[in-house]
Amino acid sequence: MTKQEITEFELETLELLKNVMDPEIEINIVDLGLIYKLNFDGKDNIDIDLTFSTPSCPLGETIVTSIKETIVQKHPSFCVNINVVFEPKWSTALVSEEGKKLLGL
Amino acid sequence: MNGLKTNNAPHISVITPHFIFGAISLLILAVLLILADENLLQAYFNTKLIAITHIAVLGWASMIVFGALYQLIPVVFETALYSEKLAKVTFWFSAFSVLFLSYSFWVGSYVSLLPYASVCMFLSLLLFVVNVGLTYRNATLKNVKSTFVITSVFWLLITELIGTVIALNFKFNFLTEIHLHYLKIHASIGLIGWFVLLIIGVGSTLIPMFLISHELKEKKLNYAYYLINGGLLIAVVNWFLIQKSEIDYLIPLLIIGGVLFFISFIYDSYKKRLRKKLDVGMQYSMLAIAAIFMPFIIIGFIVLSTSFEVDFMFRIITFYGFSIIFGLITTLILGQTYKTLPFIIWLDKYKKLIGKTKTPLPRELYSEKIANIQIIIYFVFIAAFVIGLLFNQLVFIKIGSYALLVVAFLYNVNIFKMITHKVKFKENDETGNHRI
Repeated sequence: MTKQEITEFELETLELLKNVMDPEIEINIVDLGLIYKLNFDGKDNIDIDLTFSTPSCPLGETIVTSIKETIVQKHPSFCVNINVVFEPKWSTALVSEEGKKLLGL
Repeated sequence: MNGLKTNNAPHISVITPHFIFGAISLLILAVLLILADENLLQAYFNTKLIAITHIAVLGWASMIVFGALYQLIPVVFETALYSEKLAKVTFWFSAFSVLFLSYSFWVGSYVSLLPYASVCMFLSLLLFVVNVGLTYRNATLKNVKSTFVITSVFWLLITELIGTVIALNFKFNFLTEIHLHYLKIHASIGLIGWFVLLIIGVGSTLIPMFLISHELKEKKLNYAYYLINGGLLIAVVNWFLIQKSEIDYLIPLLIIGGVLFFISFIYDSYKKRLRKKLDVGMQYSMLAIAAIFMPFIIIGFIVLSTSFEVDFMFRIITFYGFSIIFGLITTLILGQTYKTLPFIIWLDKYKKLIGKTKTPLPRELYSEKIANIQIIIYFVFIAAFVIGLLFNQLVFIKIGSYALLVVAFLYNVNIFKMITHKVKFKENDETGNHRI
């Protein structure tokens, strides 16, 4: 895979993850700015740096499971590695323009 | 996966019995209000009113709080509950003790039943305190919010200890002061030390979480902590040892100062909130926070006034208790039930389906229509009682009591709707979205 193909795949995966909604806020995790990094190795590994709006988010485990299930449903042979990070701390500045619109900001 | 603490959440069977018992207690409470009738306008220490107060603070409020706290401990302390088995034993023992205690008061059996009921209640609450205390010892997160929670639990134990001493005194008669003196300490520590501190500890964690607001000044919570606890400590020392009436002026000032810092913290959170529209749960919660002023205005009035008729003063003291138990605590619990219980049930029912199929939203587990009607009738109850107590109008007390019965019925409908929820599969919507 070329670098450009990898980048395109990563963007496609991010689009796919817009289907994962936070049931409390009712906005997808991508527009909420919870995904800090998404790397595809060009073969079958996806590494994701993910954060939560609060370190002890009661939905943390649920969000992780949902991301894995969503990717694996489309790419069954893929291995999804999720690294939960709290640096930098999530803030409302990370919400996308689309997310802000959905929140009525 | 650092920071993922949901595995710390206890099994749902630890939580739901508390909500069921609390909801039924609210129904019992409303029925007792109707039966108590004109007793509600008499001296605040009459047996019916004391029975109602105990079913309200222990059967209703504390039971729901215990259930919610077992679920929230992983969030506030970032550790698992010390023992789920102990929590289950505590529930059954507390449930029995609350009913035994309230019955003892209702029938006025101060010598033959109350001392035993009170010891049972003390022991059951001691089990709760031990469980939470040992959990706190293992906590990875010790900040001002978790300190508020553990301190409130300490004050709960002191409250119960004083209550038990008063109850035993009815049989063994060993105290030097009249019962009303100790009753004042028992009630003040219970309402401020247990409930208000707990509300601040849990509220300062949950409200910014639900409103999605960040970069809040936690120093305000530190000031609140020291001022309120300072006020309570001075109160205990003064009322037990020094007994100087001048010091009584200082106590509400310190406590009000602390509460103002908490309100200021919540106001910052409200101003910085990402989520603009408040759902029914948050509407209740914000109203409760606003109502926190009322009891402190009344206590200031009680401390400063000396020239009112005794009957009016009794009703004002009842109104003081009413404003904390209903204006603040019940309003907050009614709201936070709709924020916490749907999630607890939803996570339990849909955890294994996450990402595989479209699931309902947590808020779809209860009827929002019923919750909205409930909030309107709840206002009728509050308004009727305020008029009834201040103007000595029994007819308004009756209207209010029946309104609370309707509120309790609607609340029970929603609680049982959530608890008996059956897993539903949904077809994916047009966008293919599936919610986590």
